Amino acid sequence: MTFLTRRRLILATAVLLAPLPSRAAVPRRIVSIGGAVTEILYRLGHESEIVGVDTTSQYPAEALTTKPNVGYVRALGAEGILSLDPTLVIATEGAGPPDALRLVEQAGVPVIRVGDEPNQAGILRRIREVARAVEEGERGEALAREVEGGFARLAENRARVAQPVRALFVLSLQNGRPLVGGRGTTADAMLALAGAVNAASTLEGWKPLSDEGVIAAAPEAIVMMNRGPGGDAQDPFALPAFSATPAGGAHRLVVMDGLYLLGFGPRAPLAAQDLMVALHPDLPATRWSAQP
Amino acid sequence: MSPIIEAKGVSYRRGGRHLVQAVDLAVTAGSLTTVVGPNGAGKSTLLRLLCGELAPTDGGIVVNGRPIRSIAPWQLAHLRAVMPQASDLGVPFTAFEVAGLGVEGIGRGLSERDRLHIVGEALDGADVAHLAHRTYQTLSGGERQRVHFARVLAQLRAGRSVEARQVLFLDEPIASLDLKHQLALLRHVRRLADDGLAVVVVLHDLQLAAGMDGDLVLMQDGRLIDRGPAEQVLTAERMAEVFGVRLVAKTLPPHPWMLADERGSTFAQDALTCSDEPRRQASS
Amino acid sequence: MSTGTPGRLLRTRRGPLLAGLAGGLLLAGFLAMSLGPTGIPPGRVVDVLAHGMVGAGQERAGDALIVLQVRLPRLVLGILVGAALATSGALMQGLFRNPLADPGLVGVSAGAALAAATTIVLGDALLAPWIGPLPFAALPIGAFVGGLLTTLGLYAVATRSGRTSIATMLLAGVAFGALAGALMGFLSYLSDDRQLRDLSFWSLGSLSGATWVKVAAVAPLVLPVLLASPFLARGLNALSLGEAEAFHLGVPVQRVKALAILLVAVAVGASVAAAGMIGFVGIVVPHVLRLAAGPDHRVLLPASALLGGTLLIGADTVARTLAAPAELPIGILTAAIGAPFFLWLLLRRPGGFSL
Repeated sequence: MTFLTRRRLILATAVLLAPLPSRAAVPRRIVSIGGAVTEILYRLGHESEIVGVDTTSQYPAEALTTKPNVGYVRALGAEGILSLDPTLVIATEGAGPPDALRLVEQAGVPVIRVGDEPNQAGILRRIREVARAVEEGERGEALAREVEGGFARLAENRARVAQPVRALFVLSLQNGRPLVGGRGTTADAMLALAGAVNAASTLEGWKPLSDEGVIAAAPEAIVMMNRGPGGDAQDPFALPAFSATPAGGAHRLVVMDGLYLLGFGPRAPLAAQDLMVALHPDLPATRWSAQP
Repeated sequence: MSPIIEAKGVSYRRGGRHLVQAVDLAVTAGSLTTVVGPNGAGKSTLLRLLCGELAPTDGGIVVNGRPIRSIAPWQLAHLRAVMPQASDLGVPFTAFEVAGLGVEGIGRGLSERDRLHIVGEALDGADVAHLAHRTYQTLSGGERQRVHFARVLAQLRAGRSVEARQVLFLDEPIASLDLKHQLALLRHVRRLADDGLAVVVVLHDLQLAAGMDGDLVLMQDGRLIDRGPAEQVLTAERMAEVFGVRLVAKTLPPHPWMLADERGSTFAQDALTCSDEPRRQASS
Repeated sequence: MSTGTPGRLLRTRRGPLLAGLAGGLLLAGFLAMSLGPTGIPPGRVVDVLAHGMVGAGQERAGDALIVLQVRLPRLVLGILVGAALATSGALMQGLFRNPLADPGLVGVSAGAALAAATTIVLGDALLAPWIGPLPFAALPIGAFVGGLLTTLGLYAVATRSGRTSIATMLLAGVAFGALAGALMGFLSYLSDDRQLRDLSFWSLGSLSGATWVKVAAVAPLVLPVLLASPFLARGLNALSLGEAEAFHLGVPVQRVKALAILLVAVAVGASVAAAGMIGFVGIVVPHVLRLAAGPDHRVLLPASALLGGTLLIGADTVARTLAAPAELPIGILTAAIGAPFFLWLLLRRPGGFSL
């Protein structure tokens, strides 16, 4: 009775009855559709599981350079996705065509759709949804809290904005016709976060603005993306309507990276801070990132 | 003999004008009717009424005793063929194919081979067999006219398998033809009439019209002025009244031209001769 | 002077040409089934086709799904749409006696696009209170109905006392196309992001959404058109001489016109509704065949169907594989394949239409 002491018996029983590891580690293969989704996956440390991304997954830069490209977010092919042998597809709202994703689901690959509301609550929800999909609850929470904290600090800084700037977000200047972000757009949300006033708030959605409308909006600053739908950012002040605005008088133009600015991913608070600082130079605050 | 096609009190009004007024005209088998008149007389319009293309605003057209409107287009196609004055065809059919349009869907009990044969013979008859491979658009105006002539000949041939009594309408068929072919076509048409076909032809050339067999129909301002043999219809008074020209002789000479063919013989009687068909001359 | 053996004068032997084109279609179909980003070997493809889903076996059952649920419906839809567009182009070119005639001339494409835009932008607003958010299928159905209604409207405008003026229909179609464009601009102005997104899906022109459901919806519309169109061959041949001449040849002219317009509206409407706007097939395929095999519609109509189907699935195969796993828009490929070939033919044989 020396080997099987009571203690050892209890220990042995405990070991035998302890729950087995939840599953054999099946390597997860994820197709990530949507810039914010890909960004979140990288932040959660799951980049090695990504086997394919879409064309809007531009951050980090290695996503598109190292991972196979499944195409434009709205023109996906079922077979293309399935050829990567995925175990999971995480897609942002608006990915499609819906039939293609349905076929992927029919093939037994779960497709998790993630919302895209351009606001703080939306971002946090998105982070948690992606985290849940890859069973990374803890890190997901941590990231969410980090982002939440960022928003909080952003709000503090925003409170210190003495004079909110009237800003106009110009998406593109093709053919001399400016397409601006009105109410309800991601640009509108971002301007609000940056403590600015949307000069195009009389408009709803992305709308073209006439020359008179530009002058009537009287923006004090113009915000553009550095690589928009029309190619690289053109100089708005080359157009007479723009140069006649207060923004034109002071030559105030802020150009930032498109996905960074409007992607509403984990870097959203940083983007908002950077925008706020760029728009309000008198503000005693600094940029949070080196991102252009 | 009952007429194949008959116009009874037919009028046609368009844009406030009467293009044809109260015309009675019967077309019987084996007859050759030549319609003449100045421009705007309504010759072509009358033709289009008789062949069913236009519906008269007054009166009626009767075909074999039945109103023409009650006859389906495909039935009409078996008993009458129409050679148009002009045809703008943009589609690059060959001459053979254009002539072949005349037999597509026409005739009963005809095999594909029969139809090809009919087309071949029609091209021969119109003297365009050597052009069969050529695309229609590469042909001259006169050659195109003859291809259409072949087409209507083929149509009539095929239609004969269904209808025994047929009518051939020709609207200014010789307009672009050179002289030799003008005569050949008119001669061919005359032979067809001799064989029992009813022919109605609109001609501009009075002298050639006068040389035709059968009746002349003279029209002016939509009215049928007279009908009868050339000597009766084309008197000096009529010529002055309708055409505004003065005849030098009292009547139109029966054979206005002395046409010589290659062998130097002039044509006699009513034979219009072409140089390269001696055997036909023998039979007439 | 005899014509010799009449048979020699027929420009093409109809049988061999159609057989050749059918062979081409089969080959393209086989390639379409065997090629794809998932790299399934042809032997396996044949195996799956022979045994279906059940017999495929558990191992690599994914192959069976790719072949039977992704590639095969895509192939069938591609053939149907390609044949529909090409046949419609041939019908239109015959009816309008003009090689530039495009199926869109009867107003179908513009009407379908406008109907789709209206369904997306206003449909929600108008119908949502009753039936909740519109099902995605509302869009293609709306597009098809819109295309038909437009064609009906244009036909009514162009038809007086039982006679349709083709020239009037052409002009009315052009005018309507401009109007539709303006209305669509206005609708996209009213629309929000989501609606614009839905509209752009539909109009990109792609077979990537092909499912058996779509095939089942499109086939009963397109197949009758393909089967009925050869009956118009004789009428269209005769119509090339002019409407009066066609009448003299016994063709029921008005009936031929009305039927041709109806067939085109149905076939193009269904194709556009199912696969968006795919250009080039309707105008190039009949033209290429006319240059190669002559303008006889008895050959042209069935040949167009075969070649149209072949071209579309060929283009789709390239679209799926060239940039795999991404997909290229098919409209670019139909142009890239069709246009150079067309130019080559034109340079070789300038015997086209005289306009």
